[in-house]
Amino acid sequence: MKRDLHQFQGPNHGTSIAGSSTSSPAVFGKDKMMMVKEEEDDELLGVLGYKVRSSEMAEVALKLEQLETMMGNAQEDGLAHLATDTVHYNPAELYSWLDNMLTELNPPAATTGSNALNPEINNNNNNSFFTGGDLKAIPGNAVCRRSNQFAFAVDSSSNKRLKPSSSPDSMVTSPSPAGVIGTTVTTVTESTRPLILVDSQDNGVRLVHALMACAEAVQSSNLTLAEALVKQIGFLAVSQAGAMRKVATYFAEALARRIYRLSPPQTQIDHSLSDTLQMHFYETCPYLKFAHFTANQAILEAFEGKKRVHVIDFSMNQGLQWPALMQALALREGGPPSFRLTGIGPPAADNSDHLHEVGCKLAQLAEAIHVEFEYRGFVANSLADLDASMLELRPSETEAVAVNSVFELHKLLGRTGGIEKVFGVVKQIKPVIFTVVEQESNHNGPVFLDRFTESLHYYSTLFDSLEGAPSSQDKVMSEVYLGKQICNLVACEGPDRVERHETLSQWSNRFGSSGFAPAHLGSNAFKQASTLLALFNGGEGYRVEKNNGCLMLSWHTRPLITTSAWKLSAVH
Amino acid sequence: MAGSDQVNLIESKTVVPLNTWVLISNFKLAYNLLRRPDGTFNRHLAEFLDRKVPANANPVNGVFSFDVIMDRQTNLLSRVYRPAYAGGDPPSFTDLQKPVDGEVVPVIVFFHGGSFVHSSANSAIYDTLCRRLVGLCGFVVVSVNYRRAPENRYPCAYDDGWTALNWVNSRPWLQSKKDSKVHIFLAGDSSGGNIAHNVAVRAVESGIGVLGNILLNPMFGGTERTESETRLDGKYFVTVRDRDWYWRAFLPEGEDREHPACSPFGPKSKSLEGLSFPKSLVVVAGLDLIQDWQLKYAEGLKRAGQEVKLLYLDQATIGFYLLPNNNHFHTVMEEIAAFVNAECQ
Repeated sequence: MKRDLHQFQGPNHGTSIAGSSTSSPAVFGKDKMMMVKEEEDDELLGVLGYKVRSSEMAEVALKLEQLETMMGNAQEDGLAHLATDTVHYNPAELYSWLDNMLTELNPPAATTGSNALNPEINNNNNNSFFTGGDLKAIPGNAVCRRSNQFAFAVDSSSNKRLKPSSSPDSMVTSPSPAGVIGTTVTTVTESTRPLILVDSQDNGVRLVHALMACAEAVQSSNLTLAEALVKQIGFLAVSQAGAMRKVATYFAEALARRIYRLSPPQTQIDHSLSDTLQMHFYETCPYLKFAHFTANQAILEAFEGKKRVHVIDFSMNQGLQWPALMQALALREGGPPSFRLTGIGPPAADNSDHLHEVGCKLAQLAEAIHVEFEYRGFVANSLADLDASMLELRPSETEAVAVNSVFELHKLLGRTGGIEKVFGVVKQIKPVIFTVVEQESNHNGPVFLDRFTESLHYYSTLFDSLEGAPSSQDKVMSEVYLGKQICNLVACEGPDRVERHETLSQWSNRFGSSGFAPAHLGSNAFKQASTLLALFNGGEGYRVEKNNGCLMLSWHTRPLITTSAWKLSAVH
Repeated sequence: MAGSDQVNLIESKTVVPLNTWVLISNFKLAYNLLRRPDGTFNRHLAEFLDRKVPANANPVNGVFSFDVIMDRQTNLLSRVYRPAYAGGDPPSFTDLQKPVDGEVVPVIVFFHGGSFVHSSANSAIYDTLCRRLVGLCGFVVVSVNYRRAPENRYPCAYDDGWTALNWVNSRPWLQSKKDSKVHIFLAGDSSGGNIAHNVAVRAVESGIGVLGNILLNPMFGGTERTESETRLDGKYFVTVRDRDWYWRAFLPEGEDREHPACSPFGPKSKSLEGLSFPKSLVVVAGLDLIQDWQLKYAEGLKRAGQEVKLLYLDQATIGFYLLPNNNHFHTVMEEIAAFVNAECQ
């Protein structure tokens, strides 16, 4: 049978708050028996919710005895009568409570009844109350007392005491009325913090619901609701642990930015920070390494037998992909080809020629491994700004070209004609292979809520996979790296929204209709990718899957990134 | 009757401090009002009269508390008590379930008393007792707000106890560092002691490890009228008649006090022989009229080859552990601390 949750909050704790700032009794310490001044309340009973003056203890005991005797003598319904009546008196105030009970059972001849005791109630009281049986509603003034003062007016002829208003200072805490009869108004002071926790798994579910509801509210421009929900999310997010907490926090922040129309943090636009973050991401988890590795495999195979090779990298960053390829080329049977690299990247915030620096480092490596090396760095705000003529292409008989793009193509989808322009340039380049790595998820749908839902699941999985990594600076930075993507995807629109990921099938369509044909990645690539994964946490959780000649890296059953390779279709 | 009642009243007054006497007599009085002869119970009035306190996430005397919902289906709430963190700052919302910090941190799953009918985890007397237990040795205490009779008869209270045990056992934040397991003790007074025993039996049968049982004046009985019941009837706050009423309220309708819930070593009970039942600390108050049943319980454990320490307190009455104003209280607290800490080497 389900019980009422209200029960646990109890109507009475206005008078019995133990968690107070007043001195509490000694908890242990054999020798410290109570040393209480006569006029003060018994501390030990006070903690237990009963207010009894130490000086009155004996009298209270006497009353208890008297009541006991009388109850022994009373008829059955007399007791029921008592039971009903007790609700009019504050059970915490033992002296008066017992007193009043005694009067009920043994009304003095002088008065007409107990009604004389309590004029406030008296106003509304009449004998219809005393019908025995269960508690009935208490009408009138008794219920909604707000002041701290109350008084039992007394019949002076009796031996009952005048009980002056309970002074608030003698009460333990709470500003709720000191001796309210019946229900108390529950208030909580700063010194008491009652909390009920719901199971955090429960919270996890609620969190997801709140996130979705917030996104929906944003979509329907119900910003008031969205705002309220975003606050809820923040609150729920901190009750979670690990991946869920981080993801929820990033999404909440992104939603908040969208709601309040805050422009994304300045760092969105700072590319050198992006590069740094990506390096941390590179270290922490296998995704980038997988991307580089699989793309390099495809390039290596496409360059087989070629004496002069040229790689055009749309995603130069720190050039992390190329040392491995260069080494593989160096070890090639028949000796390495001469290797030309054109690196394209966005301008650095401080205008430094970081692309040049990267090139220099690679040149040093090339020298060390005896590979003939040529390098050119290009700064471009967008890949769509490129023209084939800038790239100093050489005749394809002399030089085989590979074009490489890791997590860059999707950024073009926000610009009209962007991707078409780039495809056009690539076709002009006439590469032997065009390697592409992209996030495997549709974060570019026309409906905000759909994008939100997809990305929530995507990044939850991604963050989950990061949880296994040992805590480190790298890990934190990786999370920040991903967090920026989340922020862009949720908070931005139009050309500002660059994280427009799409799935393999969507890309396949684009490539297909733009004159490219798939170049299947071999089983070699597959096997070696699997080996690579084993280096990360024993490969626990990660999976490599083949999909139409492409390779996907999944966390458990969810594919997260896809490497695909393309060549010009026969028509060209 | 009046005359001998007066004698009884005077007698009980001589063995407990006055404020304890007032407290327990007051309970007795109130409870008399609540029990109806037809076996029904005035629950509304009971809740009205019960002095309750909210949980308090701000530390008081080095202990803070918060309530948790363990099972939505039955609205099973429990109150968790923890030692305050170093620095004394009030824990933030996220800190409430911060992993316990220690090689071995005992977690006591506590079942309050009330003869299966009265009190709640948020009753002031039990909130205070649990706080004292935490203050004692830095244990974490989880006080279970189990469903009560007569609205919820056997086995509801045991089921709730079982749910609570599983909940505690599966909290990662309650795991001790030494072995990433939760070090659980079951404890309870009066009916809570009875519940602790029965939950322990279930635990043993299901393979959940319980390190020890702490039973304070546990509530057991049987059909027979024992010598102590006859001798002490009505003398120290409790009557045989009220005991009968509570058993009738808790046991399934039509069952008598030979039912194993009432009489765990009676003819209808399963044997504990051969089971790796947790060691038990059984505290018996010398002026408790059901002591013969409690002693039989301890005997029964011994005969079944189980480890039991019996603590017999001569002049103690029921409820002596509710106030720290007597030697019995301090003795028992020390024994409990020793009992629990023995497992924590």
